[in-house]
Amino acid sequence: MKASGRNTEVKRLKTRVRLILAASVIAPYFFFGCSGRRSEPLRGALDVSDPKVGHGQMVFMDKCDKCHPGGDAGLGPSLNNKPLPGFMVGFQARHGLGAMPAFAEDELPKGDLDDVVAYLKALRKNG
Amino acid sequence: MLSLPVPARPGAREFLAVLSLIALLVSLFLCGCFLSGCYMVRPSKGGGNASAGPARGIDPGDIALPAGYRIEAVATGLTFPTAVVFDDNGALYAVEGGYAYGEEWGQPRLLKVMRKNMFTPIAVGDSNGPWTGITYAAAPEAGPGKGSFYVAEGGQLRGGRILRIGMDGKSEALVENLPSLGDHHTNGPVLGPDGMLYFGQGTATNSGVVGRDNHEFGWLARHRTFHDTPCQDIALSGVNYSSKDPFGGKKSKDTIETGAYSPFGTTTAPGQIVKGEIPCNGAIMRIARQGGRPELVAWGFRNPFAMAIAADGRLFALDNGYDDRGSRPVWGAGDLLWEVQPGRWYGWPDYSGNKSLDHAEFTKPHGERPQRLLDKDPGPWLATQAAVGNTPPAVTAQDGPPKPIAVLPVHSSADGLDFSRSEGFGYRGHAFVAEFGDMAPSVGKVLEPVGFKVVRVDMARGVSEDFAVNRKGPGPASRLETGGLERPVSLRFGPDGNSLYVVDFGVMTVSGKGDKPRKQTGVIWRIWKEGK
Repeated sequence: MKASGRNTEVKRLKTRVRLILAASVIAPYFFFGCSGRRSEPLRGALDVSDPKVGHGQMVFMDKCDKCHPGGDAGLGPSLNNKPLPGFMVGFQARHGLGAMPAFAEDELPKGDLDDVVAYLKALRKNG
Repeated sequence: MLSLPVPARPGAREFLAVLSLIALLVSLFLCGCFLSGCYMVRPSKGGGNASAGPARGIDPGDIALPAGYRIEAVATGLTFPTAVVFDDNGALYAVEGGYAYGEEWGQPRLLKVMRKNMFTPIAVGDSNGPWTGITYAAAPEAGPGKGSFYVAEGGQLRGGRILRIGMDGKSEALVENLPSLGDHHTNGPVLGPDGMLYFGQGTATNSGVVGRDNHEFGWLARHRTFHDTPCQDIALSGVNYSSKDPFGGKKSKDTIETGAYSPFGTTTAPGQIVKGEIPCNGAIMRIARQGGRPELVAWGFRNPFAMAIAADGRLFALDNGYDDRGSRPVWGAGDLLWEVQPGRWYGWPDYSGNKSLDHAEFTKPHGERPQRLLDKDPGPWLATQAAVGNTPPAVTAQDGPPKPIAVLPVHSSADGLDFSRSEGFGYRGHAFVAEFGDMAPSVGKVLEPVGFKVVRVDMARGVSEDFAVNRKGPGPASRLETGGLERPVSLRFGPDGNSLYVVDFGVMTVSGKGDKPRKQTGVIWRIWKEGK
């Protein structure tokens, strides 16, 4: 390989390293900095007329709310301020990550998990 | 700007490739932190874990409520208020606890609220507080305003008592020497539909084993042999836990082994039987209004701090969940709203709700899983037989504890309970709960303040939702530097059911050096619906 070609590749690698490091540092602060409070006194009542949302709310209260009160931070981090796609929320609930325990299929059936995701999406849009 | 060296050596590509891989791994780690909240690396951020300004401001505008509701302060300047009650003339009375965590001692008082900052003392207790709750029973034969107050005296120094206090301030103990010398006290009472007084008795310890944390509370130095007492005969698993010897001085490295339901430093063996006694810890008991021997209603609670009777006569209780402290810490245990069924066992010290502590959700990351303390579950028993004897009879089945109505946030300290019974207020049949707020870091770590608000619970759906919160953010007003809610400790609907009175304990900060409650910062708030 010629010296000029090697320099170009080195520059490209350097840029990539810088971008990854910058994104790694900035992204968590960006997400942690957002408010997660979505409750009725602040944002108005959540519409739970959709059966999936209403059922998801009940499942959330039973399984999740104690650590993420109203989807906000408490013992665990806020869920309301993380724009994660539904499959990633489901993945984390099913497999656990960090301090969060995994919820097996017999404890949190797929239908219930889907409804929790529907509830969280509705909660994020509330207000 | 990040500046990376550009190696002139032939291995530069490999070097940068390795660096890129490391950066990718760091990125994945941080991404994982983003998903998981990075519990282990983030500091605790409890609501009380902050300094508070010199004076408490009061500003109802700093409190957010659902549309159509209003709030005002009806009494301020109280010292450690814990409860309110109304007589049958509609007059408002407040109880000042007289003792607060942090070993702050004073005299408990029953006060008649005359105006916003004007109180008339009805009765003053001594140093055996805290007075934790009150109810009033009318005396129709004597006329309106001639009834009696019934007060739960926590009994931090000499054991719990239920007191009857007349309008003239004279008091007598209906029952005394309740096992209240530990972490949790005698609570309640409420008047049942059967005319009996129901009261709660908290446990001596966090999770059944006396340890160094109890010395930090202050009581272990005063009562070195005090421990939990079961309500039935139980067989132990024989598991013992180690704790640093708090009596050995700061430099002591000695550890002491202690078993369940035993004095500090006493070990237990597998199958060992501990005799049940009444009164006992972690129980709801009842007595006649004229006094007498307490009867067991149900047990297996941790700290049944608040009770309320629903419109249909059923009894409900709020039970403070385990803390992440002591020699047998339990992580991730929420506070529980129970329907109290006579003759049931509710799971302490081996369950949280109907879930065994074996479940992974109760073990702190990289922590030790709590081992079972009981050889087998006590199970339910026949309450009707227990009422006539001093000890409940043998169990009728080996069922575990029932499922709670609702699980409230970990460390929220759900302490106040009442039911809406009026369309004038709305949410008829819903439970309203006062959340005192976390005591992190002494009870465990939280990522954001928990509690410090009033929530309502849809009893049919088991769903809790915020009702009164500080507008600026989570946590107590002193932390937010506003005039909103500090630490709601109890609540009660007024006689017409159209107003909700919220007792705000006042400022209590928490640090590694202990709890610091502040006198004369308590407030009573009134919430009502506009147009009512």
